[in-house]
Amino acid sequence: MLLFAVRRLASAVLVLFAISVLVFLIFFATPGVDPAARIAGRNADPATLAQVRHSFGLDRPIPIRYALMMRHLFISRDLESFVNRGAKVIPQIVQATPVTLSLVLGAAVIWVLFAVLMGTVAAWRRGTVADPLIMLAGVVGISLPVYWLGEVVNLITQSRLHGSVFSWVPPLGYVSLTDDPGQWALHLLFPWLTLAVLYAGIYARLLRSELVANLNEDYVRTARAKGISERRILIRHALRCSLIPIVSLFGLDFGALVGGAALLTEVVFGLPGVGKLTYDALQTVDLPMIMATVIYAAFFVVLANAVVDVLYARLDPRARHA
Amino acid sequence: MARKALPGIALITTSLILAGCSGSSSTPATSASGSTAGFQSQHKGGTLKLLAKSAAGSLDPQVNYTLQYWQLYQAMYDGLMAFKKVDGQASFTPVPDLAEAAPQVSDGGKTYVFKLRQGIKFSTGAALTTDDVVASFERIFKVSSPTAGTFYNGIVGADACLTKPATCSLAKGVVGDATAGTVTIHLTAPDSEFLYKLAVPHASILPKGSPAKDAGTTPLPTTGPYMVASYDPNRELKMVRNPNFSEWSHDAEPQAYPDEIDESFGLTVEAEVTAVQNGQADWVFDPPPADRLNELGTTYASQVHVNPLTAFWYLALNTNLAPFNNEAARQAISWAVDRAAVVRLYGGTNLAQPACTILPPGLPGHVDSCAYTAGGGATWSAPDLAKAKQLVQQSGTAGQEVGVVVQDDTVNKAMGEYLQSVLNEIGYQATLKPLSADIQFTYIQNTKNKVQLSLTSWYQDYPAASDFINVLLSCASFHPGSDSSINISGFCDKGIDGQIQQALTLARTDPQAADKLWGQIDQAIMAKAPVVPLINPKLVDFTSKRVGNYQFSKQFYMLVSQLWVQ
Repeated sequence: MLLFAVRRLASAVLVLFAISVLVFLIFFATPGVDPAARIAGRNADPATLAQVRHSFGLDRPIPIRYALMMRHLFISRDLESFVNRGAKVIPQIVQATPVTLSLVLGAAVIWVLFAVLMGTVAAWRRGTVADPLIMLAGVVGISLPVYWLGEVVNLITQSRLHGSVFSWVPPLGYVSLTDDPGQWALHLLFPWLTLAVLYAGIYARLLRSELVANLNEDYVRTARAKGISERRILIRHALRCSLIPIVSLFGLDFGALVGGAALLTEVVFGLPGVGKLTYDALQTVDLPMIMATVIYAAFFVVLANAVVDVLYARLDPRARHA
Repeated sequence: MARKALPGIALITTSLILAGCSGSSSTPATSASGSTAGFQSQHKGGTLKLLAKSAAGSLDPQVNYTLQYWQLYQAMYDGLMAFKKVDGQASFTPVPDLAEAAPQVSDGGKTYVFKLRQGIKFSTGAALTTDDVVASFERIFKVSSPTAGTFYNGIVGADACLTKPATCSLAKGVVGDATAGTVTIHLTAPDSEFLYKLAVPHASILPKGSPAKDAGTTPLPTTGPYMVASYDPNRELKMVRNPNFSEWSHDAEPQAYPDEIDESFGLTVEAEVTAVQNGQADWVFDPPPADRLNELGTTYASQVHVNPLTAFWYLALNTNLAPFNNEAARQAISWAVDRAAVVRLYGGTNLAQPACTILPPGLPGHVDSCAYTAGGGATWSAPDLAKAKQLVQQSGTAGQEVGVVVQDDTVNKAMGEYLQSVLNEIGYQATLKPLSADIQFTYIQNTKNKVQLSLTSWYQDYPAASDFINVLLSCASFHPGSDSSINISGFCDKGIDGQIQQALTLARTDPQAADKLWGQIDQAIMAKAPVVPLINPKLVDFTSKRVGNYQFSKQFYMLVSQLWVQ
């Protein structure tokens, strides 16, 4: 078990290294991307440009630039943005993480609750009209792109009906949980719901099919034969078993979202989280920030994968030797 | 100067309407109350909430080269000179700021003596001294200010400072006399625009102990009515009153109205406009998206202010690469492009007007003339495609491939598609190459990238013809192989360069005659067609209902500190 965990960790580090090299190379392979002139400012004369290039180490060979960037990122931890000079990237990510965590945690609670409710009711009521209706709602949720849904939510709550029904909706943005818990929740309510819609749909459909499959298993038949009530069978037996694949999927989705995959939701709702940082960095071609956010995202995805793998290995000994 | 962000969304015909906008800022009500009545204390107080899509980088006034912060610096930092902070044309006038009066100029325009005002303090409480002024000029070079080598290279000793910034000393160029309270600046040659250059933020006076490198996100002490309380490029820039400020010149640095100014970052432009409509914020830095203009122009007409800018959008034709190394081929493009179509793509006649000259209307030296318009005349009327086609055939360049490099936002791309269709129509094979907005501007400057035709723009730094003609089209601005070669066309004509030098010299003694000469140079360059002026843009400011006393400086745009929020 320990050896497995160590192997898993080593491969995770290798993946992170490969990703960082790839980001670096893609960046410098992009035409016209040399940041020196952009940093120096418009119409900078050649001497100024040379000074700037030198002071940012941009006149050095690419492998050395890579090594320097990694040193600033991981060892001295003082890597600075090319665009907002003086702004250190690590504190910015540290500051943005609670925003993303607040968004994703809240949305996760909502989508899991809805998914369990919808999936269970659909499986329980299969054969009636409720089942296809619930599943249709799930498909609609999956099909709505989050940036479109977010903009429509904003259009309704901030603009069209802001004067009447939705006058209680606060302006877009983020209020810290420690500053004002009430406002924190109120500011995040619509972002939570918007982000949750997609995942609730996916999870509900998945759970329903797992439940339906489980309800035909031998152990359910045994339980029925023992005279246990249908309700108890559904909730205590079938649902518990059906949740296992959901949990591993949840681990991966959660990792990706915390890593910045909630980018579009953050952009649409003006939440200064990690996804927004990534988005801004990509817009301004800010290499240090792109590097830091990509590594951060990769870290969470790899971490989530590793946790899921290790958990699986714990649950199923066959996976250890795979 | 750094260009503004572009109008975000689409080319939408409804945007042509922008109906009831208060036409220009020079409405009698606003300008009278602001500039003549002095400070009106009943409007003092409150928090002004500004919105911008994103932060604009370093907060260091000697480094930052964006309009977004230059506008805010007006109420924070001061130089020896300042542009008059009033509405309208007078805002182009430099007035003494930290200096007591206009400098005494001697030695044929090479020596300037400034007497510092007494009693001015930095926001830290330290008194402003001549040492601070000397240190600030050296700091321009130590921090590699973008304009160090273009604006301030005429100061004695600047050459050495440019090559070795770390040890920069201007001992012979900027001399402080603490007892007399004077600062003497020596130039290597007379410079008719020197006072303008002293009035832009890069020449701000900072305390002498300021770090000798870009201060980045750490605020530096100010002299003006505000200082920065905090700055986080992902959240907000918060400006609060400088407790040590008291008004010394209403023209140069007027007392401010709001007690606090917050510029928040992070919303989309759509959300920003909505927030101002809801009264959640007071002003949007970014140009409103075209599809919201109709709504703004009708429902919110009283909150919209439209002002023409001394700026132009133009096509740079690479005069060193086929086919545009051929003068006839360049003229063909000038004849072919429908400026009215470009205006429509930009958002309509309320947001831009067709351009025929390099010098925008309102800039000294501008003369109404239009070399390439069907039927002739001083203003633009229509393209002449027949003539364009004929010139392409004559030049022998027909059938050649032309790459059109534009920024990848909707407006620029739409213009690019239009240009592509025009080029194809007159006999070229055009391909469109959209690039990220942040990369395109440096990409098109580098000769190594072999860009034949690009769409770009230029917004003035200060109100002088040379800031367009000398900067954009002189031989000295052409640096082959560099990302910083602002003469994008690579245009270098010895005859024109001689005239440019003549105009610069003439401006020292006879500004009027120089302006006239600039106008002639403009036309001489247009005849050779290295650039194709397309439009002169206008700026739309959208303010909240509670905001009063809107004034528009042609130099630094809306006077933020003069707005009333109560």
